[in-house]
Amino acid sequence: MVSVINTVDTSHEDMIHDAQMDYYGTRLATCSSDRSVKIFDVRNGGQILIADLRGHEGPVWQVAWAHPMYGNILASCSYDRKVIVWKEENGTWEKTYEYTGHDSSVNSVCWAPHDYGLILACGSSDGAISLLSYTGDGQWEVKKISNAHTIGCNAVSWAPAVVPGSLIEQPSGQKPNYIKRFASGGCDNLVKIWKEEDGQWKEEQKLEAHSDWVRDVAWAPSIGLPTSTIASCSQDGRVFIWTCDDASGNSWSPKLLHKFNDVVWHVSWSITANILAVSGGDNKVTLWKESVDGLWACISDVNKGQGGVSAVAEGQQNEQ
Amino acid sequence: MEELDAEPPVMVVPGADPSSRQLCFAWGPAEVLLCETRFDRTGRSPASRVFVVRKDQDIYIHTLRKLFNESHGIFIGLQRSEEELAGKSRKSHLVQVSKNYRSVIRACMEDMHQAVSILSAMELIWNLCEILFVEAAAAGPLLLRLLDWVRLHVCDVDNMVREVLSSEDPSKHELFWNLNNTQTLTEMELKWQHWHEECQRYLQDGTFASNSHTESICKILLGDEDAILEKKELMTTWYHFLVTRLLYSHPTVKPMELRFYAQSSMDLFLGGECSPEPLDTILMAAFEFEIHQVIKECSIALSNWWFVAHLTDLLDHCKLLQSHNLYFGSNMREFLLLEYASGLFSHHSLWQLGVDYFDHCPEYGRVYLELHIERIPLNTEQKALKVLRICEQRQMHEQVRSICKIMAMKALRNNRLGSALSWSIRAKDAAFATLISDRFLKDYCERGSFSDLDLIDNLGPSMLLSDRLTFLGKYREFHRLYGEKRFSEAARLLLMLMTAHIAPCSFWMTLLTDALPLLEQKEVIFSAEQTYELMRCLEDLTAGKSEKQKFQDDNVETMKVEMLRLALARNLARVIVKEGTLEGS
Repeated sequence: MVSVINTVDTSHEDMIHDAQMDYYGTRLATCSSDRSVKIFDVRNGGQILIADLRGHEGPVWQVAWAHPMYGNILASCSYDRKVIVWKEENGTWEKTYEYTGHDSSVNSVCWAPHDYGLILACGSSDGAISLLSYTGDGQWEVKKISNAHTIGCNAVSWAPAVVPGSLIEQPSGQKPNYIKRFASGGCDNLVKIWKEEDGQWKEEQKLEAHSDWVRDVAWAPSIGLPTSTIASCSQDGRVFIWTCDDASGNSWSPKLLHKFNDVVWHVSWSITANILAVSGGDNKVTLWKESVDGLWACISDVNKGQGGVSAVAEGQQNEQ
Repeated sequence: MEELDAEPPVMVVPGADPSSRQLCFAWGPAEVLLCETRFDRTGRSPASRVFVVRKDQDIYIHTLRKLFNESHGIFIGLQRSEEELAGKSRKSHLVQVSKNYRSVIRACMEDMHQAVSILSAMELIWNLCEILFVEAAAAGPLLLRLLDWVRLHVCDVDNMVREVLSSEDPSKHELFWNLNNTQTLTEMELKWQHWHEECQRYLQDGTFASNSHTESICKILLGDEDAILEKKELMTTWYHFLVTRLLYSHPTVKPMELRFYAQSSMDLFLGGECSPEPLDTILMAAFEFEIHQVIKECSIALSNWWFVAHLTDLLDHCKLLQSHNLYFGSNMREFLLLEYASGLFSHHSLWQLGVDYFDHCPEYGRVYLELHIERIPLNTEQKALKVLRICEQRQMHEQVRSICKIMAMKALRNNRLGSALSWSIRAKDAAFATLISDRFLKDYCERGSFSDLDLIDNLGPSMLLSDRLTFLGKYREFHRLYGEKRFSEAARLLLMLMTAHIAPCSFWMTLLTDALPLLEQKEVIFSAEQTYELMRCLEDLTAGKSEKQKFQDDNVETMKVEMLRLALARNLARVIVKEGTLEGS
């Protein structure tokens, strides 16, 4: 049911750690241990190198595209403790901001919902999470949550923007009162939820279920239901789906998706949140869907019910 | 609740080496990215490839584009037409809709040469579903329909039938074939029984004993399975065999009896040599009236959602789907339509069809549309306007704002200030409007003229979106008034811009400099009071500067200030005289 339509030869000289499509699927950003970030135009099955961005002094772990209303902006984070924000200006990509406030490798970057402005959350091995907000005129404001996770923070993921209370259109110029939240995962085996209150970030919830380092967290996009959903994965081989039914965000309950035989490194949601992708140490990416009765099933041949997307696996050489 | 099946299908990424690599994964809006990596970040290996993966339906889109386009109209018509009809007329309407879908499939078959086999399979299945479910043909007409169905789809048309018609007792056969409306089922059955017994007698009498060929025909006519099976090679499929069998042994077969004959036909025909193919399983499920099974099997076998989405929708209109405890999603019809429509959004123009499908999904259609419509690349202004119109029609305010902001940013990056400004006004984005107004003003300072005058002149009430924008509008108005030689109005406006603090402080110098020509007109324009105000503004401006700034001011700045002071003083002198004189007289 799926086929490879394009193979992009990035010419990175070392391991790739992340690849991300932009909002429209027209550009691809990759980052590598070779310290570079590359951007390709992949429209119509092509692969044209647009930019080869140098600036990091160590392996680059992640890249993240900002919402197009802010222009063409890409963030990258690296072992060199830096977070760099790149911007396309007059057809060329340049460094527009560099944050060096972390004491250790920065492992994860994630842009907030565009409704909040241009805000980047960064998680680092120094245990802190920093929030970089663009305030205009080339200026960025930094808020830091120190000791968010002991030993280190491995992942950050924003909650979708939901306007609390009424859905009536606000008069122009007035910003709706958003409650900003994001989730983080760390080496303390915890998933934490952070909430902004009076301009300060506070730990709202501590989700305990993993028995080893949490490697990734992913907050599911909103499909209009009052429930919130977070996926987390860990070195303990488990993937949990956390759900919270009430709007106040107080009671989260975990459900075990699956126990894998190896470390699970990444979880991510499709844009309509109906499929969760899980990549693990077992060289496979599996895709999961939730059934009506709340059970999670690996989508098979649609015999399970009209799912239609298959599991994807590494191949043996020469196999088709 | 369906049971969990065994193994998910596996897609193998070509050429990767599992011993040294793991797979990194990312979602794109329509596709999926995979790249080789090592998560524990050890080892050095130039793993430099990224794979872009798509669902096959998205690939099929190009071949089946005509099908998607044409069927869209039928779908919409069906959603809207329902309400007025009831009973028999409703049924015949639904049958007509089904036929329309099928004719679209056939039309595509004629046009396209690549996808013919899958299209003909789709038509075959759909046709059978139409007969059994939509039309719900009763015993009697059922067999006729099935005969037509087989004839239509099997290339090797019923040779048997041809043989029969050209054989010795055509009159007897005529009786059998003569199924007109006046005959009830019972009458037909009786006639057939009678004919059947006659044939039997002929066989037993040995009438055909001399000619083995004719004898075999007679046996076939009597529905002798073995005799029919002997002619297996003339029938291409087991369902051809089934219909033939029924024709000669149970022509008045009832719909619910079909399943038994179907199963045994398939067993006899395939004879245990080969296992049923997907198409066989689907048809079998249809003969067994297991509608949900049909849909499930079709979903697996066909690599596009078009078929199951449209067929299920039609069957739902026939009220044949109970609220089924679907494994994924709340409602089967909606689930399939959501999947189909989502796939359309990966196409540069078919996404517009997708919008209509989402509109007819009451539960999740709107939110799916919101999530997908944001991802449509806004390559041209035209496309952006199209997307906007769709969002505005559905009161999707967030999306409207978001799109306007994106277009404003794009225009700004390409230095199209006018376009950027109108987009940010449409987005009600005060901050951006301020930014662009500043750019306009900056341009004016550098070049001495405004661009996009039309736009600025016609801002109207949207001028109030941001202070800077208001200033821009008013400042331009000042220039207009000056150009029209309405000097006193211009003067009043200019002064007001400063005293009402509409103008930013950084711009005051420019404004005062603009006042110079007014001060040096032959005629006195500024009144005494106004002149005092101007002087105060100038003093505020210079006083406000720090020592450092004053030091940095170059000669031009200093000269400007001096010139202004002089002009203001001269004007004051003239106006005092003028006003004093008037008073005096």
